[in-house]
Amino acid sequence: MTRVAKISACWREWPERRESLRRMAGFWWIVHKDLVSEFRSRRVWPAMLLLGIVVALLFSIQMNLLPEQKRQILGGLLWLSVFFAGTSLFDRSFALEREDGCQGALQLLPVGPGTVFLAKLTVNALALLALEGLLIPLFFILSDLSLGAHAGPLLLIAVLASPAPAAVGTLVSGLAVGQGRGGLLVLVVLPLAVPVLLAAAECTRLALESRLDEVWWRWLQLLGAFAVIFVAAGVLLFEYVIED
Amino acid sequence: MRRVIGEVCVAVLLVAAILAASFLAPTESTMGHAQRLVYIHVPVAWFDLLAFLAMGVCGIVYLARRDLKWDHGFQAAAEVGWLCCGLTLVTGSLWAHEAWGTWWEWDPRLTTTFILWAIYSGVLLVRSGIEDPHHRARVGAVLAILGALDVPLVIVATRWFRGMHPVAPEMTPSMRVALLTGVVGFTVFFLFLARGRYEQLESENGVLELRRQMEG
Repeated sequence: MTRVAKISACWREWPERRESLRRMAGFWWIVHKDLVSEFRSRRVWPAMLLLGIVVALLFSIQMNLLPEQKRQILGGLLWLSVFFAGTSLFDRSFALEREDGCQGALQLLPVGPGTVFLAKLTVNALALLALEGLLIPLFFILSDLSLGAHAGPLLLIAVLASPAPAAVGTLVSGLAVGQGRGGLLVLVVLPLAVPVLLAAAECTRLALESRLDEVWWRWLQLLGAFAVIFVAAGVLLFEYVIED
Repeated sequence: MRRVIGEVCVAVLLVAAILAASFLAPTESTMGHAQRLVYIHVPVAWFDLLAFLAMGVCGIVYLARRDLKWDHGFQAAAEVGWLCCGLTLVTGSLWAHEAWGTWWEWDPRLTTTFILWAIYSGVLLVRSGIEDPHHRARVGAVLAILGALDVPLVIVATRWFRGMHPVAPEMTPSMRVALLTGVVGFTVFFLFLARGRYEQLESENGVLELRRQMEG
């Protein structure tokens, strides 16, 4: 292809490229805005982390068990703590947008609702990962088990288990905006996220028992499938969530 | 007249289902009469999944057309589905007590049915508190679509991680006939209930519209 032809092809593709660049810029702008806002106000993450620590401590008080028994139940308690504390995050995810017409401004962004959803989801998933980064070592310290040997599999489980509940929580949080129904909508988030909770807990149990076999791999695939399904559903449905 | 004939047909099919389960099906050798719960459990379990899928379809069509008729269909399916899901859990628990010696087991299919029941309850509860009918419909539609994504997990979870739940137990021909009669009879009965609720919601909406016109 001659140089002129290359330049001409690039020129023809420019509108699509410009569109994707605009979406990426909008995405990063929303992520940056939410992270900076949280860093300055500290309204959501500290409360979520504290709730996670308190729940973890309360669960650990009951764990006066043998190491084998602890390995069996640690996964369930860990992910229950993460999801329970995470609901406080979802409850507040869109609450800040209610102030000073922020939601209206967000809708005016020339990026499309799918991009807004992905940006909000990214911030929520990052918050969940931060919570998991705190609670996983905490649970291992409190139950006197070695984290080092299982760090790799647990990191993989944490990465795969975060997007699905974050996606459901972000969608539901959007539905609750301006309705004062946040508390009730959390009732829907938890049942919807229960399959992810079960898969994550089962994956963690097998990892702690050093059984990284075919069964573990299946549960991990299920976690991945949940993440893909719920994120895709969120991108498609978010348009209807913020239309008011 | 057509309505009365329809109601008589529903009653006949329902009575036939109950009679088939009670008298046509033989008494199972190991579980005895308790096994007859299957002829109710399977039809209600089938209908709760059907109602959930109907909720998903009604939700999608509502979002596309913004016609409240579809939301009334959604509400009717949700209420009857919730009832069937609850009956599935109760009959399943009674059956499990006889078959497995425990009221509850965290078998994948039982767990998923329980999750479905919790989602049904959550959706109905959330919708009940929203005044604006279109906002209520939108919230229900989005939640139902998310919930409907859980339904395939019932199948996946059972196939991949087969637990204690029987997938396709051995049955004699008369047992199969009783089961089929039960599925048809109860399905028609619950469809009849859902249709009645749908018509009630339509009438309610009609009265509200009329009142609005008279006031406005």
